Amino acid sequence: MKTPFRGFTAILLKEFTVVFRDPTALFFMFFPPVVQIIAFGFALDNDVKHMATVVLNQDRTVESRQFLEKLENTATFRVVGEVSSVDELSAAIRQGRAYVGVQIPPDFARNVRAGRNAQVQVLIDGSSSTIALQALQTAMGLAMRESLVTTLKESGRREMPIEVRPQMLYNPTMKSAHFFVPGVMGLALQIATVLATALSIVRERERGTLENLLVAPLSKSGLMLGKIMPYLCISMTMATGIFFVARWVFGIPIRGDMSALFLAAFLYVFTLLGVGLLISTRAQNHMQAMQISLALILPSVFFSGFIFPIETMPRIFQWISAMIPATYFIELMRAIMLRGASIQDYWLHFVVLAGMAAGFFSLCVLRFRQKLG
Amino acid sequence: MADAIIQVENLTKRFGYFTAVDHVSFSVGKGSIFGFLGPNGSGKSTVIRMLCGILAPSDGQARIAGFDVARQSDQLKGIIGYMSQKFSLYDELTVTENLLFYGRLYGFRGAALRQRMDELIALAHLSPYLNRRAALLSGGWRQRLAMACALMHKPTVLFLDEPTAGIDPVARRELWDLLFEFSGQGMTLFVTTHYMDEAERCSHVGYIYMSKLIVCGVPDDLKTLPAVNPSGARRLDVTCDHVTVGLQAVRQMPGVRSATVFGQSMHLLVENGVSESALVNRLAEVGIQHPDIRPIAPSLEDVFVTLSAEQAENGGGK
Repeated sequence: MKTPFRGFTAILLKEFTVVFRDPTALFFMFFPPVVQIIAFGFALDNDVKHMATVVLNQDRTVESRQFLEKLENTATFRVVGEVSSVDELSAAIRQGRAYVGVQIPPDFARNVRAGRNAQVQVLIDGSSSTIALQALQTAMGLAMRESLVTTLKESGRREMPIEVRPQMLYNPTMKSAHFFVPGVMGLALQIATVLATALSIVRERERGTLENLLVAPLSKSGLMLGKIMPYLCISMTMATGIFFVARWVFGIPIRGDMSALFLAAFLYVFTLLGVGLLISTRAQNHMQAMQISLALILPSVFFSGFIFPIETMPRIFQWISAMIPATYFIELMRAIMLRGASIQDYWLHFVVLAGMAAGFFSLCVLRFRQKLG
Repeated sequence: MADAIIQVENLTKRFGYFTAVDHVSFSVGKGSIFGFLGPNGSGKSTVIRMLCGILAPSDGQARIAGFDVARQSDQLKGIIGYMSQKFSLYDELTVTENLLFYGRLYGFRGAALRQRMDELIALAHLSPYLNRRAALLSGGWRQRLAMACALMHKPTVLFLDEPTAGIDPVARRELWDLLFEFSGQGMTLFVTTHYMDEAERCSHVGYIYMSKLIVCGVPDDLKTLPAVNPSGARRLDVTCDHVTVGLQAVRQMPGVRSATVFGQSMHLLVENGVSESALVNRLAEVGIQHPDIRPIAPSLEDVFVTLSAEQAENGGGK
């Protein structure tokens, strides 16, 4: 009587009992992802606002003060102080007291009134590129608009010759959280699940109970599936909790189908549990299992499109990102939650995740040796 | 052996350059209690693991009830039981839950599972601790539970790897009583141990030393081996006061081949030329009066000590 999943029920029931017997372990499975998602969700914010700005106003006219006011009204800049020399201006940036320095030369108002080219010097701390870029764009934009308004007045036209009217789809207010939270969901689910199964067989090996399992008439797929199922239930609960946090703590809309969302989570979690189990079949002790897990998880932080867009990466990194399950899950989350995409729209992503899930599980079964040493 | 249930031929296990088990051959008769002895790291557990089919032999072969341990481990699993070193159990599970797990693992369901568990609980007297977590059991109780789990499927051959390590003498005695009972019912037992008194209880013993099986057979036969009873010498037990002082004195006498303390007495191997009165006189010189001297047969310990010393000498000469 050799059934393919022999011993599955025994392992399943035992694992469930073991998992729920140890509330601290359960807590440590749930706690980090929740902290992670909240911390990342709140802390990771690309919307650069109220950058500390120092001003060197050598002009001291109505025009120059109006210009500074307009600068501040963009909400990008916040004047934190006035200085009296160019040296002080650059010192303020060097010392980190300000990101931006604005210098208005003495002839500013005179040039504006005379219709000549009036210059404003803007020093930007380029060591933080995101911030620098935003400061640059805002300052340039402001100058451009002011120039256009002046030119328009002079030419007698009432309207801009060309006007772009952008409409931001799916994330109208351009909140960073909408971009980051789906990504964090992918990462938060990852660590807990991979580690959970990675440690499960290693624990049996360390305690010596693995020997008893190997001596028993137990099929490899029975063992593997029995090990995965309890954590699959826990991980799905965790995924539900994470959706809940995304929706109600960060106010991220879920425009797509819940079934698509859960199918994606199911395939993703199953894949990760398979990865963990695969680690577990070869690691000799739990230190090793943890190291391998973290080493495998780390690249996904950079190459999953969580922060950096995959499209701009060199080809080789695009290949790497194509091999990372999180890449597909994060893309699916953004598509389903923000853009309301359906399973049909993203069927290839689902197929890839399903393939990965099946692939890793089969690999576990194939690679697990029912022998020691 | 005509009714051998375990047959081992040239079984060898190498880990890299290290040979853990070196061409070991022996056989174990059905229903016997086979004591497998040897110092730590001599290869005892490695042999057991190969026999249980969880470690692939590098060379040689072994059969249990006709099944090749390397190739027919699936058939093997139904007939062997294995109690691993240190009684590995699931610490966070209770006694009942541990039994339930092994019961289900061996395919028991519903009423049959319940019934088999009840039998084992009665057999191992586990009823007072059913709801206690395995982590909180003392050594003796852990061992009983581990044994109950190993017996779940009524194996015909039971392997016990150091079943009495670290447990109290009462539990040790009770375990041996159980083993004799199983043996009487026809079960074959393969036991590793450090204890010489346990070795004396076995129907057959094997002694492995530096990866090689140096002797194997019935204890009484081993004690009559020529190597253990060299011609022209005899074994004496000398009971006296201040044994340690006496030991120093007699060791220096010509014709005394070996002398060891054994509780209140010392065991000597002396050449026939050395008379008992010569021993009495020597002891009197160091102030020991009226020693009680009588001839003795070699113990299993003597057998193993003599043979491993011989093996070490031969090994060194290679």
